[in-house]
Amino acid sequence: MKREYFENEIGEAYVKAVHSSGLEIYILEKPQYNSAYAVFGTRYGSIDTCFKVDGETVTVPEGIAHFLEHKLFESEEGDAFTRFAETGAYANAFTSFDRTCYLFSCTDKFYENLDILLDFVQSPYFTEQTVKKEQGIIGQEIRMYDDSPGWRVMFNMLMAMYHNHPVRIDIAGTVESIAEIDYDLLYKCYNTFYNPSNMFICVAGNVDTEKILNKVKNGLKPREEVILERITTDEPENVVENYVEQSLAVAQPMFCLGFKESHKSPERSAKEKIRTALAIEVIAGEASPLYARLVNKGLINDEFSSEYFNGFGYAAVTFDGESSDPKAVAEEIKAEIERIKTEGIDKKLFSAVRCGMYGGAIRMFNNVESIAMQLTDCAMTGNGLFDDIKYLKSVTAEDVYKKILKIDTENFVLSVINPKE
Amino acid sequence: MPDKILKLGEGVEGLFIKNTRFNTTRISANFYLPLNAETVAEYALLPFILTTCSKKYPDFSRLNYKLNRLYGASLDASAEKYGDYQLLRITLSVINDRFSLDEESLARRGAELLCGLIFEPSTENNAFLKADLDREKRKVIEHIKGEFSEKRVYAKNRLIEEMYKGEAYGLPKCGSIEGVEKITGESLYFAWKKMLETAFVRFHVVGSEVPQGLFEVITEKFSKVQRENIIEPTKTMPTLARTRSKTITENIDVNQGKLVMGFSSEVYGNDDESLSLLIAGDIFGGGPYSRLFSFVREKMSLCYYCSARTIRQKGLLTVESGIEAENAEKAQKAILNQLKIVKAGKFSDFEFESSKKSICDSLKGYNDSQQSIDMWYALKINNDEIYSPEDIAEKISAITREDVIKAAEGIRLHTVYKLLPLEAKESEGK
Repeated sequence: MKREYFENEIGEAYVKAVHSSGLEIYILEKPQYNSAYAVFGTRYGSIDTCFKVDGETVTVPEGIAHFLEHKLFESEEGDAFTRFAETGAYANAFTSFDRTCYLFSCTDKFYENLDILLDFVQSPYFTEQTVKKEQGIIGQEIRMYDDSPGWRVMFNMLMAMYHNHPVRIDIAGTVESIAEIDYDLLYKCYNTFYNPSNMFICVAGNVDTEKILNKVKNGLKPREEVILERITTDEPENVVENYVEQSLAVAQPMFCLGFKESHKSPERSAKEKIRTALAIEVIAGEASPLYARLVNKGLINDEFSSEYFNGFGYAAVTFDGESSDPKAVAEEIKAEIERIKTEGIDKKLFSAVRCGMYGGAIRMFNNVESIAMQLTDCAMTGNGLFDDIKYLKSVTAEDVYKKILKIDTENFVLSVINPKE
Repeated sequence: MPDKILKLGEGVEGLFIKNTRFNTTRISANFYLPLNAETVAEYALLPFILTTCSKKYPDFSRLNYKLNRLYGASLDASAEKYGDYQLLRITLSVINDRFSLDEESLARRGAELLCGLIFEPSTENNAFLKADLDREKRKVIEHIKGEFSEKRVYAKNRLIEEMYKGEAYGLPKCGSIEGVEKITGESLYFAWKKMLETAFVRFHVVGSEVPQGLFEVITEKFSKVQRENIIEPTKTMPTLARTRSKTITENIDVNQGKLVMGFSSEVYGNDDESLSLLIAGDIFGGGPYSRLFSFVREKMSLCYYCSARTIRQKGLLTVESGIEAENAEKAQKAILNQLKIVKAGKFSDFEFESSKKSICDSLKGYNDSQQSIDMWYALKINNDEIYSPEDIAEKISAITREDVIKAAEGIRLHTVYKLLPLEAKESEGK
């Protein structure tokens, strides 16, 4: 296997190995720890509803990646949970916009668990009957999310932000879309996306790199390579509408405000992510004048948070929380961005938040789960695990200022959940 | 493994939990006070107001600027229930000195900052400042109201409220909205004084060493406080069994219903016997190997989620599930039926062994997380001996089927709380 070693000055090091099938393996050893965390993932999420495989263009129902995730836990001999129960490991899986990950964490029998993980993800087993049953279970899950104001406020925003990009659709799909899923479609998607060339394994914790690489080499089932192409959607630069609202059984209004970004390439670089994260801290972080103003005016509480929401073909700077007056919060945020654009960036504040973020990047290495998750980001984007620390050292106030200049305060969506009655 | 407990004052303890694997040092201040209706709201507000401003950092922006400057020191506050007591926590974590370019120790400056927040709040004429008080009161009131928005949290809170009406444990952890509204600058100042004077206090340090001078400063600070009427958090009332269980149904404009159930147990407290109760509860509704997951959720498809939790100290078992309204009765029957099977000892060896393995595996991972290990010792006050997670894992490994059956015997249904969509009301009435 082709290998690369990476290390940095804080004393951490990891290996990236590439198997001949194209599978990427990332391992960071933490010999002082008791536990280990492993992820087997595929670059396949809810946004992959239209793709070209071996020359054929395929469109599939929304929610199928998530559906497949549920189904993979089953096999002819019983479900994967049962097998992990025998070793005592904690196992789970999740589907997001751009990836599906299967994971376990354990303090004992790591290699046995790794065998189980490798095996069940590579052994799809569904029948017409089990697919039918799953439609009922996922239907319940979708209905549960319909009652979740935090989930609704975000998806309402995405639907108002994106005209065509599938990020606007709920990860689990809709009751109607999952009704279209059948046995053949599931296999079609499985065979396309669960090919080693589109997959990765990330491990952090008390493990031995050589042993893992050996296990993986022996545990991979031979598969023919597929030629896969993601079809990018044509997405206009502007948002669909600036304001959306819905009423739910909540005690007070909730909001999500997003500024849509347009860009030429589908993925954001590590540098761009750091710059934007710092820009968000300067605009509305807890040390910022805006944050103090919003709290003192009684407009936000501890639920307030912000994010650089981005993935394949989409990016937005978002702010969310609870407020008695979401529109006033949105106006304050827009005004603050415009103020910084004219007055420039507070250098002292910039240098403090950069220092804070640097500490945060070092803190991340305390936790094997965070490391494994960060490694999956590396696998998805091609960025390095130590890039954040590296860029945090070199990024300047000017870089961050330039990023703030690019935020178009007119190209926004404010999504609000109002209390019923 | 922690060192032995250091006495830093009357009812004030220091505990150093040495662990060299982390990039950070974590310090926590834990204050234990009896839960009661008159004081719950005031005490619960303290950790929050104390971590937003102080004499030295009179506003939030300045404090957060300072935290950023300390390489993103993370400062957290919480008010939790610990049996029939309130646990007020303030924690601070800073990265280790080898990563900083500063000459002065970050841990030492962090420790100083933490002491400043606890002992020198921003006050005037024996009262907290009105602006600070109003802001923090508003935030807590919004937080209390916000619990209604997440129906899973709301349903669980309502169950506990109904189960323990008139008892300390039934109080909401941050008090009621009316209770918070009544707080004045003076009354909060009085509560702060009272906390310093009467709370049982435990300071933890998790990391490679105790920041220089930390325990000495705390000792010195407490030597100036008139420590009296200190109540150790050791007397939590068990959950009393009901002869007939009570059912409460509430209808709200939602799509999906919630069914939560509370059970009392004859086994309670933090002793070995109650570890068997923990296993019983876990076989019933813990991991994916449990009866509730594999039968009620997977085989019968009656709930999207269905799980049980055990609060050993209180002798309390709770079941939470998300249901379609029309399945409410069926789900309740199925859940109770699974409990019957556990009580009769008709669970499989696989379920029994899986439960023990899963709990032991996760206990052995506690030392890999500073938060978990800190919290672990914050919740281990009652024992004469301080047990590590590994000690408990060993005890759990030795538990037999008979122990589990014996512990499960005394589990009784106490209260059922159902949250159902509006339209479900009529069909129920028929």
